[in-house]
Amino acid sequence: MTVYKTEKKVQRLSPFRGGLNANRAAWLFIAPAFFFYGAFVLLPMAMSAYYSLLNWDGIGAASFVGLTNYITVVTDDDLLQIIANAFRLILYFTVLPVIVGLAVASVIRNQMSGRFGTVTRTVLFIPQVIPLVAAGIVWSWMYDSNGVINQLLGFIGLENWTRGWLGDFTYALPAVGLIGTWVLLGLCMLLLVTGISRIDASLYEAAKMDGANAWHEFRHITLPGLRQEIGVCVTVTIIQALSSFDIVYVATSGGPGIETMVPGLEIYRLAFAHREVGLASALGVVLMLLVLLIVIPVQWFTREKQ
Amino acid sequence: MTQIFQRAWVGKGLILLLMALTLLPFLSLFTAALAPGGTYPSGIAWPEAPQWNNFVRAFEVADIGRMMVSSLIIVLGVVPLAVVIASMAGFALAKLVPTGRKWLYLVFVLGLTLPFESIITPLYYEIRALGLLNTRFAIILPLLGLYMPFSVYWMRAHFINVPQDLSEAAQLDGAGYWREFWYVQIPLARSSIMSLSILLFLWTWNQFLLPIVLVQDPAKRTMAGALGAFQGQWGTDVPLLSAGSLIIMAPTIIIFLIFQRQFVAALLQGAVKG
Amino acid sequence: MIKISPKTLPLVLTLSATAMANQATAAMDCGSEPLTLNAYFETGFPLPTQLAEEFSRQYPNVSFDIRQDQFANLMENTPRLLSQDNAPDLIRLPSISDLVANGLLKNLDPYFEEFGWDSFPESQLVQTRAHESGRPRGVGSLYALGLNYSTTGVYYNTELAESLGMDTPPQTLEELDNLLARAKEAGIQPIQQWNKGTGGLNFPLQNLMGSYSDPEAINAWIFQQEGATINTPENLEAANHLQEWIEAGYFSRDVNSVDYFNMMSRFIGGNGLVMFNGDWESANLQEQMGDNVGFFLMPPLNAGDAYATMSSPLTFGIAENAANADCAAYFLNWVATNETARQINVEVGGSNPGGPANLQLPEVDADSLISTTLAASQTIAEDNGAMDFIANATGAIFSAAWTPELQRMVGGVQDAEGLLSTVQEEYENQLSR
Repeated sequence: MTVYKTEKKVQRLSPFRGGLNANRAAWLFIAPAFFFYGAFVLLPMAMSAYYSLLNWDGIGAASFVGLTNYITVVTDDDLLQIIANAFRLILYFTVLPVIVGLAVASVIRNQMSGRFGTVTRTVLFIPQVIPLVAAGIVWSWMYDSNGVINQLLGFIGLENWTRGWLGDFTYALPAVGLIGTWVLLGLCMLLLVTGISRIDASLYEAAKMDGANAWHEFRHITLPGLRQEIGVCVTVTIIQALSSFDIVYVATSGGPGIETMVPGLEIYRLAFAHREVGLASALGVVLMLLVLLIVIPVQWFTREKQ
Repeated sequence: MTQIFQRAWVGKGLILLLMALTLLPFLSLFTAALAPGGTYPSGIAWPEAPQWNNFVRAFEVADIGRMMVSSLIIVLGVVPLAVVIASMAGFALAKLVPTGRKWLYLVFVLGLTLPFESIITPLYYEIRALGLLNTRFAIILPLLGLYMPFSVYWMRAHFINVPQDLSEAAQLDGAGYWREFWYVQIPLARSSIMSLSILLFLWTWNQFLLPIVLVQDPAKRTMAGALGAFQGQWGTDVPLLSAGSLIIMAPTIIIFLIFQRQFVAALLQGAVKG
Repeated sequence: MIKISPKTLPLVLTLSATAMANQATAAMDCGSEPLTLNAYFETGFPLPTQLAEEFSRQYPNVSFDIRQDQFANLMENTPRLLSQDNAPDLIRLPSISDLVANGLLKNLDPYFEEFGWDSFPESQLVQTRAHESGRPRGVGSLYALGLNYSTTGVYYNTELAESLGMDTPPQTLEELDNLLARAKEAGIQPIQQWNKGTGGLNFPLQNLMGSYSDPEAINAWIFQQEGATINTPENLEAANHLQEWIEAGYFSRDVNSVDYFNMMSRFIGGNGLVMFNGDWESANLQEQMGDNVGFFLMPPLNAGDAYATMSSPLTFGIAENAANADCAAYFLNWVATNETARQINVEVGGSNPGGPANLQLPEVDADSLISTTLAASQTIAEDNGAMDFIANATGAIFSAAWTPELQRMVGGVQDAEGLLSTVQEEYENQLSR
C-alpha cells in the first residue's frame, strides 16, 4: 500500500537516523526557519542599521554621515511630534479598550455562554478579521462631512458640533485613535471576559459575605486576577499603536498638517517619496527600539507575580 | 437575586450597545453603496432607488476574481511552508536541546515586536536586487521570514508541554528524529498547528505594507493591498468605493463566519501567547 | 547569502540602458507587432484614457495597461516606479527636476529631432526642459511633453453671482474681495476649495501671488534658479491676503477634510460661489451645470494690469528604462498632431492642445465654457503671465511643505510669514541634498 511506500521513502531520504548526533539534528531542524528569518529579517535589520549611517537618495552614490540621521530624529521638531503622535495613539489603542473591556467584563461575569455569547463573540470579532485598510475606509466615511457622526449630531440638534473630523486640528488624532479602539476593543474585551470566568467564584462569594462593595470586589479580586490578561492586552495593543500604518495611510495620510502622521508612515514617505533612505532607516531603528523599550517593562511587570 | 438579575441586564445592554457600534459603520457603508454612482450620499440614508447595480459594477472593475486567486496563491505560498519549518524549529528548540539554544531562542524572540516598517526600506532594495519586485515572491519570501518569530515561539510553546516520555518511547521504537517528528509529534500538535494556520492566513490575507511597496500590479497583491489600489483608483466615487470595499471584505467575513469558533479561539490564544 | 549595496544599483541601470540603446536604431514608432504600453495615469481625469482608446483604434496592435492612482499617491510612487525594472512607458509626472537629476526620465531630444517638434512654439516646451543635473529647469534637454496646456482661474456659479448683483467678472482684486464679502453676508459659501490629501489652497494662493507679484520671479523659484526665494514681500502680501480670506470664513469650515472630488461635487451641487480650478474641468462642469457656470481669470491688483496665473503642461514622461519608449513618444506626438486626438483633447480635456504652431485650434462652440477658458489661455499668453505650479518646484515640496503648512494655516496654527519661511526652508533643504 501507499502508506508503506511513503514510509520507506521517508526513511531512505531522511538524514536523521536513530544514531545521528542530537545536536546536529537540532540544527538541521532549525536551519530552514533560520534561513528565512536571517535572509528577510536579520539581514534587513543589519542593512537598516547600515543605511541609517548614510546620506543616500536610494539611487545615486551614498556618503557616510555617522550619526547625523539619528541626531535629526531626536532634534527635528516635526519628527519628534510624529513620534509623540504614536504615543498619543496608545491612549486610544490601549487604554480605552482595556478600561471599557474591564468595565464590561466585571459587569457581565459569566454571561458569555450559550447562543448570546456566540453571537457577541462573532460580532465583536469582525473588526479583527477585516483588513485594517478596510477599517480605515469604513471610518473615513463615518467621519466624513456627510457621514453618520455629523448626521447623528445634527439629529440631536448639535449642528454646531459637526465638522470634518479627520481634517480638524483638535479632533483628527482622536478620530484616528478611535478607529483603533473600534478594531481592538473586541479582542481585549473577550480576553478579559475569558480571564474573569477563570477566577474562582468562591472569592466573590466570600467578599460578599464580608460586605464588600462592587468597587472593593473589582479592586481586590478582579483586577489582580486579570493581571496576566491585562498584560497581554496592553502589550498587543501598544505594539499596534506604535507601529500603526494602514489606518493612517487611508484615513488621513498624516494630515491635517502632521497631526496624525505616525513613524510607520513617515518611514515609508521618507524612504520612497522624499528619497531620504538614511533618515528613514534611522527612524526605523528608533521605532524598533522604542517598541522594545516599552514592551519589555510591561511584560516584566505583568508576569512578575506569576 | 434581583441584584444579579439587574446586573445581567445591564451587562447585556452594554454588550448590545457595543455590538451596535461595531456594526453601524458597515451599515453606513452599505447604504452609501446603494446610492446612485458618482453622487455624494449621506451617512445613513436608504436611497430612493437602491442601485444594486453598483455591486455588479464594483465586482467588474475591482476584478475581484483575480484578486482572490492572487491572495490565495500568496496564502498557499506562505502558510504551509511557514507552519512546517516553524514546527521543525519549535520541536528542535523544545526537545533536541541544541547547544546555544537559549541564545538562538532569544534571537528568534527578538523579532516578535519588530514593526514591519522598520525594515521595509532595506527589504525593498533586497527584493529588487533579487529581481523579484512585482512578483508574488516579493510578498511570500519576506512573510516567511517575518512570521518566524511568532510561529517558532508558538510551536515551541506547544512542544515544550509534550511529555518527554513520548519522545523516549518513539526512540525506543527505533524511530529517528525525523520520523518521530512527522509521525509522533506532528499528529499530536494538530490543534496548535490549526490555530497557527488560521492566524497566518489572516495576517497574510490582510497584509498591506509589503504589497503596496513591493508589488505594483493590484492583481498580484494580497486582498488588503488590492483594496488600497482600489481606493486609489475609485476613491473619487463614494458609492462605487463603498460597494467595492464591501465586496473585497466579504470573503474574509464569510470565511470567518463559517469558522468563527476556530478563529476566535486562535485569535485569543494568539494574543495570549504573542 | 544576499549582498546588497548602493553600488549595485548603477550597474543595473547601465545594463538596462545598453539594452535600450540597441533598440533605438529601429524606426521610432509602434511597429506592427502587438505591443502593450504600460501607463500610469491620475485618477478622476478621463482625458488620457480616452486618448489611449482612440490610439488603439487607429493602431490596433497597441494596447494600454493603465493603472490609475490619486495625485498624492502618484507623487509618492513616481520615483520608486521609475527606478524599477518594468517602469511605465507613459507616466503622468507631477514634477520633473529630481527625476531628471536621478536619471529616471528618458531624454526626449532624439524624438524632438525625429518628430520635428521644433515646429511647436518653444514656450510650450520650456517648462519640461531641464539641465541634466535637474536644475535649473526651463533650459537644456526635453524630458517630458504636455498632453495639453492648461490654464487656471476662477469658476463661478452664475445664478449665485447674479443674485449678488455681479453682471461682469471682477476687474480688480478689490472687486473680487467685495463680491466674496457680499456672498458671505448673504449666507452663500464664498469659496469652495479643497485642502485634504493635497493642499488645494495653493490655487487661490498662487493666483493671489499672480496679482501681487511678477510671474517671472515665481517661475525663477519654481525652475530652481540660483538664489530664488518664495519669501518675497509681494508673496507675503499674497499669503496675508489668503490668511484674511481664511479668517473671514470664505472657505468652508471643513475645508481641511474636503478632497478635490468632494469639492467638485459640492460646487456642481450649487454649494459655493467661486472655485479656483483649471480648464481641465470645463467640459465636465458645463455638462453637469449647463449655463449655471462661468469662468474668469484672477483679476490683477489694478484694472488694466497684466493677468498672471498658473498655466502649465499636463506633463507626461517616459521612464529611462521603459520597454516601449519609441511607441510612447510616438503616442505623445500623435496627441499633439492628430486631428481626432486634438478634437478629443479640447472636448474632453478642455485645455489648449498645443502642438505645431501652424495647426488650427479645433472648433468649439463659441458660447461654451471651453471657448471661455481657451480665450483666457490666449490672454495669458499675450500678457506673458504663465506660471508653472508652485507645488511643482521640487518633487517633495508639495507633500512636505505646501500641503501641511496650508492645512496648518486653516487650522489657525500657521500665519502667512511662517508659511513662506517654512516652505523656503524646506526648499533649500531639498536642494542642498
